[in-house]
Amino acid sequence: MTRTDTAPPLAGSANRRPGRRIRLPAETGAAVGLAAMLGLLGWLQPSSVDAANLSSLLEQAALPGLLAIGMVFVLAMREIDLSAGAVFHLTATFAALLVVAGMNPWLAALAGIAAGAGLGLINGLLVIALRLPALLVTLGTWWMIQGLSLVVGKGQTIAPPGADGSVLATLSGKAFVIVPVTGIVFVVLAMAMHVVLHRTRFGYRVQAVGSNPRAAAYAGIPTGKVRVLTLVLMGAMAGLAGVIHLGAQGAIAPGDGGTFALLAITAAIIGGTSLSGGNGSVIGAVIGMLVLQAILSAMTLLGVDAIWAAFATGALIVLALAIDRLVNLWRNRRAGHGEDNLLG
Amino acid sequence: MSDSPILLVRNVARSFGGTVVLEDMNLVIERGSIHAVVGESGAGKSTLIKVLAGIVRPDSGTIEFDGKKATISSPNAARKLGIGVVLQQPGLFPERPVLANLFVNREPLHNGLISRREMEARSRDLLRQLGLAVDVRAPLGDLGPGERQLIAIARALLENPRLLILDDPHSALDRRGTDRLFAVLRGLKAKGMSMLYASNRLEDALAIADQLTVIRNGRDVLSKARQELTTSEEAMIGQLRQSLFPLPLRAMPTLAGTLRPQLAVSGLGGGRLNGISFTARAGEIVGLAGLAGSGVSDLLALLFGQHKARVSRVRFPDGDGLPKTRTEAARRNICMISGERGNGLMQDKSIAFNLANVVVGARDWGSRWYSPVMAVARAARQIEALRIRSAPETRAGSLSAGGQQKVIIAKWLEIGPQVVLFDEPARGIDIGSKQEIYALIRQMAASGCIVLLHSRELSELTGLSDRILAFHQGRLAGEIAGPDMDGGRLLQLIAAGEAEGEGRQIKLESVA
Repeated sequence: MTRTDTAPPLAGSANRRPGRRIRLPAETGAAVGLAAMLGLLGWLQPSSVDAANLSSLLEQAALPGLLAIGMVFVLAMREIDLSAGAVFHLTATFAALLVVAGMNPWLAALAGIAAGAGLGLINGLLVIALRLPALLVTLGTWWMIQGLSLVVGKGQTIAPPGADGSVLATLSGKAFVIVPVTGIVFVVLAMAMHVVLHRTRFGYRVQAVGSNPRAAAYAGIPTGKVRVLTLVLMGAMAGLAGVIHLGAQGAIAPGDGGTFALLAITAAIIGGTSLSGGNGSVIGAVIGMLVLQAILSAMTLLGVDAIWAAFATGALIVLALAIDRLVNLWRNRRAGHGEDNLLG
Repeated sequence: MSDSPILLVRNVARSFGGTVVLEDMNLVIERGSIHAVVGESGAGKSTLIKVLAGIVRPDSGTIEFDGKKATISSPNAARKLGIGVVLQQPGLFPERPVLANLFVNREPLHNGLISRREMEARSRDLLRQLGLAVDVRAPLGDLGPGERQLIAIARALLENPRLLILDDPHSALDRRGTDRLFAVLRGLKAKGMSMLYASNRLEDALAIADQLTVIRNGRDVLSKARQELTTSEEAMIGQLRQSLFPLPLRAMPTLAGTLRPQLAVSGLGGGRLNGISFTARAGEIVGLAGLAGSGVSDLLALLFGQHKARVSRVRFPDGDGLPKTRTEAARRNICMISGERGNGLMQDKSIAFNLANVVVGARDWGSRWYSPVMAVARAARQIEALRIRSAPETRAGSLSAGGQQKVIIAKWLEIGPQVVLFDEPARGIDIGSKQEIYALIRQMAASGCIVLLHSRELSELTGLSDRILAFHQGRLAGEIAGPDMDGGRLLQLIAAGEAEGEGRQIKLESVA
């Protein structure tokens, strides 16, 4: 059953068989962008593209990148999750407090991830119970979760006592001398989730709901379940990122991860995931996150004040949105769309 | 000058993507007359009207309005020329007051604020002429469908157009509403208004028109004054549809009635429906007829698990009752195929992706993986079986309307449906695909499906169904079968809820 003949003679269609155009993969734009950024970095300062610096680039990209993986699923479902950064922060705080309270770090890490998934579950249940877009629901829960982490953490940096050989210490280490463990976790997970999105029933359902929620419901796809599961996945990824952050940094400070949700959305869009739903690329989001981090490094190298980093991130979101929109318009125009239903 | 026609359309063509909708359209509308354009849905009526309304621009051809060559590049340009248009979906705002609907985008201002008093003054006379005694401050949604239609016409008339275009204005109206509309139109004609009236109900068009143009496949095939129309020509127009419906296939032996799987509904209530009882057997096509609001769509929604029933005594062939969700329906091989293609198609996805909707998306058994190779194989099989003229990787949205509908049907065929609910399956598609889809519906019944078919086009019901259930205001008004099945009787049933023995004053029957 591996190789059925994929191109049987199409009865009566010889005259109108559309020619197969070469279609570039969705990640092309991001890959070109990354190459350009690395080229720029190398030109500015040749030493900034050596192995050590590249792996630190990967390490910086890993945490918001984990959120971006989840965000690709959410965006492919034509939703958006604003609360992801707050979930990241709360789970890190939660895990840190558990360790401080004397819990085994492994268990604390698992509890942190579960807490993230639980917050995602709450988001998801609200979305289907209130029949509201996740954008609105997570706008509310974002504030709530942010407030909670302030309450729980009392607005202070929490640094659990280091425990040698624990999961947290492992995460801050390096494998193969130079490659950061977080980077490996990030890349392996991204590849696995890419397969999940494109080759499993769950991924298929996510794309179907994102492409046309009404048609998905009419085809019997359990849209509510898909929405909840996707937001749970998003929460779990944010929780994982929070736990890893705690391990790698050894502490969680107020304000950490505040921009992560937006970074994740931006990376996903740069990576070719469409805001209008229906498709997404996890690999693209990884590349997109690397592009973003490269831009931030380039700004440092160029001597741009760190204050401007936020502005640049914002400008990138606008740019990414504009490109997404233009590409869609262009596609629709070519397909003679946007004015469908004119027959008759 | 006043002898020249008000509107002249010459060789207008327009296509969308690869689909030619208007090929060579010609039309002459005389001043002060009512000109009817008739043709099946999909023939190009609505597109022609959208060209005249400035919504769609023609690829080629010329339009002359009032003796001068005109380019209608936007709805505003049409308005400036003096063309008033009432579209099939008039774009009204049900939550807003009637007044606000009458003056959309041209609200009279008084000191920079919208003056409700002036709106009332300006519209009062017109509404009286139209015989509309409604509270203009009430939300439009409170009005009946006939009144809403008249409001849409009033909105067009408020701009003092010289040509009024109506696209299928009676599709939401019952007979009384249609009579009232016709009285209004005749009154307007007496005042010198020129009108273009598009319809797919031939009898209606014959009743109101001075001139008549029949269009088919984007061309005008016949254009004549009403009086000059010979009876043979009338019959010919009426018969355009005859070849549309394939002969019934009799694959199931009719005698083994008790052994055939059946869908038994007794005393079903929910939505607008109350006490509905009927049985549908495998191998037959049961037509469902009813006006908007009669509850037919509620019945389909209940059977597909979209809404909850109040009283559910239903037995599906698999022995269970109503599905609780659409997912459950799909898993029990109960299918819903709707003419509203937004409900069935993922436009930006490939045909192969769309065809996996139910097999992969709805079911939770089988492989947990989605294999593109298998999806493409599946698509290739269905493309060949249903003669969809495309390749598996093509975006579903780039297909013609007929091709899109075939994809929707094909994705359900993949699971071997047991009960199939059709909701206007052939809406808005071209004649060739229509025939193919009708043949498919027949085939599905013949191969042992229980088929329920809802359509607003009565001829589609009489042409395809073995028997027809007529619904009126939430209850089953009657059933007709065999030789009794004609459009007039059916219309009587769905409009009045009862069959009057010899209601020969019923004159409405559709062309398509």
